Amino acid sequence: MRLAVDMGGTFTDVVLERGDRRVSLYKAPTTPSNPADGILAGIGLAAADVGLTTAELLNRTKVLIHGTTRATNAILTGTQAKTAFLTTEGHPDILVFRMGGRENPFDHSREYPDPYVPRSLTFEIAERLDYRGRVVRPLERSSVEAAIARMAEAEVEAAGVCLLWSIANGAHELAVGEMLEAELPQVAVTLSHQLNPIVREYHRASAACIDASLKPLMTEYLAGLEQRLVDEGFGGRLMVASVSGGLLASSWLAQAPIQAINSGPALAPIAGRHYASRESSAETAVVIDTGGTSLDVSVVRRGDIPRTRDTWLGGRFVSHLTGFPSIDVRTTGSGGGSIATVDAGGLLGVGPESAGAEPGPACYGRGGEWATVTDACMVLGYLDPERLGRLNVAVDRLAAERVIEEQIGAPLGLDREAAAAAVVRVATEQMVHAIEEVTTEQGVDPRSAVLVSGGGAAGFNVVAMAKRLGCNTLVIPRTSSALSATGGLLSPVFSEHALALHATSDRFPVEEVNASLDRLAAECWAGLSGAELQPSGTRVDFIAEARYPGQVWELELPLKVSKFSSEVDIVAMVEDFHRVHEEVFAVRDANSPIEIIGLRARILVPAPGDARTETVEGFDVGGESERDAYFDGLGWTRVQVVGSGQVSLVEGPAILELPGTSVVLDPGAVATRGLGGSLLVSPRPDSNLRFGKAESDDSIRSH
Amino acid sequence: MTQFDPIDMAVLSSRVTAIVRSMANTLIRTGRSVILNTGRDFSCCVITGRDELLCVADSLPTHVLSGPDIMAASMRELHPDLRPGDAFLHNSPYHGNSHPADVSMLIPVFDDDGRHRFTVLSKAHLADIGNAEPTPYSASAQDVYEEGALIFPCVKVQEDYRDLEDIIRMCQVRIRVPDKWWGDYLALLGSARVGERQVKALAAEVGWDHLDEFVGAWLDYSEGRMADVIGELPEGELEVKTQHDGFRHMTDDIPINVKLRIADGEVDVDLTDNLDCLPCGLNLTEATATSAAMLGIFNATSGYAPPNAGSFRRIKVHLRENCIVGIPRHPASCSVSTCNFVDRVGNAVQRGIAELADGFGMAECGFSTPVSVGVLSGKDPRHDDTPYIDQLVLGWTGGPACALADGWLTMGGIGDAGVLQRDSVEVDELRFPLRIDSQRILPDSEGAGWRRGAPGAAVEITPTDTEILFMYLSDGTVNPPLGARGGGAGGTARQTLRKLDGETEELGVWGRVTVDAGETIRSHCNGGGGYGDPQSREPERVLKDVREGLVTRERAAEVYRVAIDERLELDEEATVALRAGRTGEGGAL
Repeated sequence: MRLAVDMGGTFTDVVLERGDRRVSLYKAPTTPSNPADGILAGIGLAAADVGLTTAELLNRTKVLIHGTTRATNAILTGTQAKTAFLTTEGHPDILVFRMGGRENPFDHSREYPDPYVPRSLTFEIAERLDYRGRVVRPLERSSVEAAIARMAEAEVEAAGVCLLWSIANGAHELAVGEMLEAELPQVAVTLSHQLNPIVREYHRASAACIDASLKPLMTEYLAGLEQRLVDEGFGGRLMVASVSGGLLASSWLAQAPIQAINSGPALAPIAGRHYASRESSAETAVVIDTGGTSLDVSVVRRGDIPRTRDTWLGGRFVSHLTGFPSIDVRTTGSGGGSIATVDAGGLLGVGPESAGAEPGPACYGRGGEWATVTDACMVLGYLDPERLGRLNVAVDRLAAERVIEEQIGAPLGLDREAAAAAVVRVATEQMVHAIEEVTTEQGVDPRSAVLVSGGGAAGFNVVAMAKRLGCNTLVIPRTSSALSATGGLLSPVFSEHALALHATSDRFPVEEVNASLDRLAAECWAGLSGAELQPSGTRVDFIAEARYPGQVWELELPLKVSKFSSEVDIVAMVEDFHRVHEEVFAVRDANSPIEIIGLRARILVPAPGDARTETVEGFDVGGESERDAYFDGLGWTRVQVVGSGQVSLVEGPAILELPGTSVVLDPGAVATRGLGGSLLVSPRPDSNLRFGKAESDDSIRSH
Repeated sequence: MTQFDPIDMAVLSSRVTAIVRSMANTLIRTGRSVILNTGRDFSCCVITGRDELLCVADSLPTHVLSGPDIMAASMRELHPDLRPGDAFLHNSPYHGNSHPADVSMLIPVFDDDGRHRFTVLSKAHLADIGNAEPTPYSASAQDVYEEGALIFPCVKVQEDYRDLEDIIRMCQVRIRVPDKWWGDYLALLGSARVGERQVKALAAEVGWDHLDEFVGAWLDYSEGRMADVIGELPEGELEVKTQHDGFRHMTDDIPINVKLRIADGEVDVDLTDNLDCLPCGLNLTEATATSAAMLGIFNATSGYAPPNAGSFRRIKVHLRENCIVGIPRHPASCSVSTCNFVDRVGNAVQRGIAELADGFGMAECGFSTPVSVGVLSGKDPRHDDTPYIDQLVLGWTGGPACALADGWLTMGGIGDAGVLQRDSVEVDELRFPLRIDSQRILPDSEGAGWRRGAPGAAVEITPTDTEILFMYLSDGTVNPPLGARGGGAGGTARQTLRKLDGETEELGVWGRVTVDAGETIRSHCNGGGGYGDPQSREPERVLKDVREGLVTRERAAEVYRVAIDERLELDEEATVALRAGRTGEGGAL
């Protein structure tokens, strides 16, 4: 058996996979003060459901996959370790200047963000290398000693070290690291060239400092969780989700905990890819995951999930860059908790302010006073108070009606339902805008893509979003309310290493490149050791970070060879680049050489049984069979409520109940059951249903 | 207020913004000049068929507040036979553009009946435009002939969606590093075509006439927002005087006068009482003079109203012909018309509004442009003497304080509004034969105030292999950015050259400096001005600045009158005494 546990801000989702490929979903409240309690409560629910004790279940669990917001929350709440920054003399303000940039040019109400490490804990080290790694100024040990003395005095707990051009020559950073280890053995240290060997000092410095600041906490957390699980009877392997979209042995993650930031959202596209390929032949899938406070968007193109180098801890330009590549999941602050307001000029807006998990929407009866999207849905009859009650939410429908009437209806001169419908419509539009920003940037036309929906809060408007985007097919997996945790079960175990290398295709340093590829491959294999896998048949994939000279944004170019043996290999690589560039940006510069600024190697060991057809259980789907709901143009309508297991062909208006969530099927939309078990929705009556797969495919396919 | 459905208005304004963002994305991802793809020195907008600015997003303010509207009008005037598939290259300062290095692509958008409904515009600062000197900012040019820029007064470059290749060939023989120019040209065209396609798609969905109704309602709404915020300002008049540093052959300061009047729900800016066009590249264009005044107003009201033709109705800007901050008369050069005098006008306006209205306005922002944001050119011996020309973006701070917040550290010039991104030291060293020895904040260079300006920064650059030509014009070397409502001035700019023999030479406000390998050029940029009395600044804020090394203990005591001891703890009693002393109760410092 395998367990996947995704710890979110409000709920901890537990997904249990049994040997017969039955998958069941459980939700327990997250317990921030001691997360293991919430995790074990969820596992306890699963155990009881299958007639075992927690110890018995844990004992039979071979792998426990964990996605956590622990690292993200530590940063949000400022509870990471007290961290110092050591940098090349002359450049103490790398973390202060960051990369510049600003949104909303006329809005001067925002204070400039504090650096991730304050200037008072920044220490300049006397040394300098040039771009080829040659020593311009030797390392002066006395400057390190001085820094160490002040760090000790300040009782620093962690240190990020980033020296200019350490990627070309790591000797100075290594020497600083050794001195820190000798003098301050209790201080957690991250060296930038080891963690994230890329050109651009801000990206590297920020990564090193964020990583170091998380080490004490994450080491303790992961070790503590593992111990607790073992104490309760667990004898399997603990694997942790990383932001790169794969699983790492928890011991490896503890060495580079920056990889745990945003690792939860990175799992959703993996699940989305799986369901899109099960249910449709479309080349492109847009995957959305909606929670109470945010909407995560990602794109899967021909089975590939794009990655980005720019991952921000908070808002773009107003927070800190992790400097780390990550699965390209864009998070925007639109969710069920987004607050709707009417400004003095009579313009209705939704978000970006959110009522969050606490106090939450007014209808949750926890002191929320603002009209949120969830309140609008409650007014419209889209939410089932009884089901929410089973998740320990005390529903106050009157509160929802009151805030919508007072805060939206009155200023706009609309009645309660029209006001609520307007909130939903504007929220839908903003979510669509967020999705279109991602698809535009990726060069994807949503009209030719399938939309895969996940998250407990997506159901009220996901059909409307699909319609607005022009998607003909919407896939709603039956696991959609725990899409990330399900993604954990589907995620490969991975090992990835990178190095900086500057080369142009017209003067290609074949020997240097080949030596680098060998080194990367060896590092990757070493990285799998903690996972105790027998990865027979797996291979190392090599990727070049490449661009046309003069460009600054690289593309990931998969290399077809692991060793360049002739001119033919180089020509083939250049042609591949032209092709990829044309696909992404619509133009090629056919006569230009290409420039490579880094190499990357990756081993992926696929999850077992990647092509499963699961049976989903975990929530009783009973309850009412009809309900009153309000739709624009129709007014109050008695609609049928259909459990997803019963769907064969349902025409909207209707409400579909899934484990952990429900979906509003707008008038005109049609839902059917897909071959892989998901709900398939065609949002408009006039579109052709494009349920591509011709036959059922229950056997395990080769990956 | 209008009868247009407010929900529909919210939806459509979001849709139009999304179109402009798509245009911007296309430019960033495909552009080749560093100043474009990293610096983000570009703008995109949608203009109505009646030449009204409808929507800008993620754009540089100096590019787009005024200008796109005038350019769209000139397109219709010069080309009465507009057809679908046309595209126009426009960089003429005499026909609505900013400086010639800002190259605009205009595309008229037609409905199915062949009616011109909207114009989309993408504009980007290109690394070169064929100037006589290797810089797109030719401050010293006597006129447009000496400047040498290729000028395109709304010239057709595409017909039936196909390139007119004569024009492109002309550019390729007259513009430095033509491959890079070609890459940027393609990016501009792609961006505007994306805009065209998406406007048509939106109209197909909601209908052209409905879109027209939205335009009317949206502009009325925006005007209403502007009227509301102006209504909060007290009525009044003020004449604000400022002076640009004298440079090169113009050794005296260049005075600029701004007459500001707030009355009848409008802000009125009169720039007519100023010098005739000067024989230099700094003359503003009609677009940049108008934008400069608007910039000050939008900054002063913190962007309360969306910037478009609706909110502009509440702004009156008076210009005259043949004036340094007015409408240039050909052949006056406007090569630097996006920076220096724009800074002076915009800053005077926002400082003036601050003096008239407590809680509004801003202090003055750092001026354009320090050596660390200069244009460098030369040949790179590391790569077979390949020629290069590009602009650095390093160590430019200068954010002015306002009533809402301290100055934004990485603001840059007022017209850049912090939107510019900064270079990576490592990427610059890879790209150019130089070493950036240091880049750091200059303590005690902030304009003090209840809210303080951003401190200045110092940058040192050493060519490593061979000489590099630096060109710059660094206003604020003599006349620093002033504070508002009792706030102090930001630190002055400064530039020096450390020679091989160890001597340090002071460089002027303007420079065309060849720096040899091993010599070091050093640049200080301005700090931003402060807002309000520094002696009213919360001691906790002063303490944080001292602990962070932005302000020294000495300055904290002298200027802010906050006592901080050697252990960097606040001495509350001594602070009370210091501050009491100021009010004339006899307390000594």
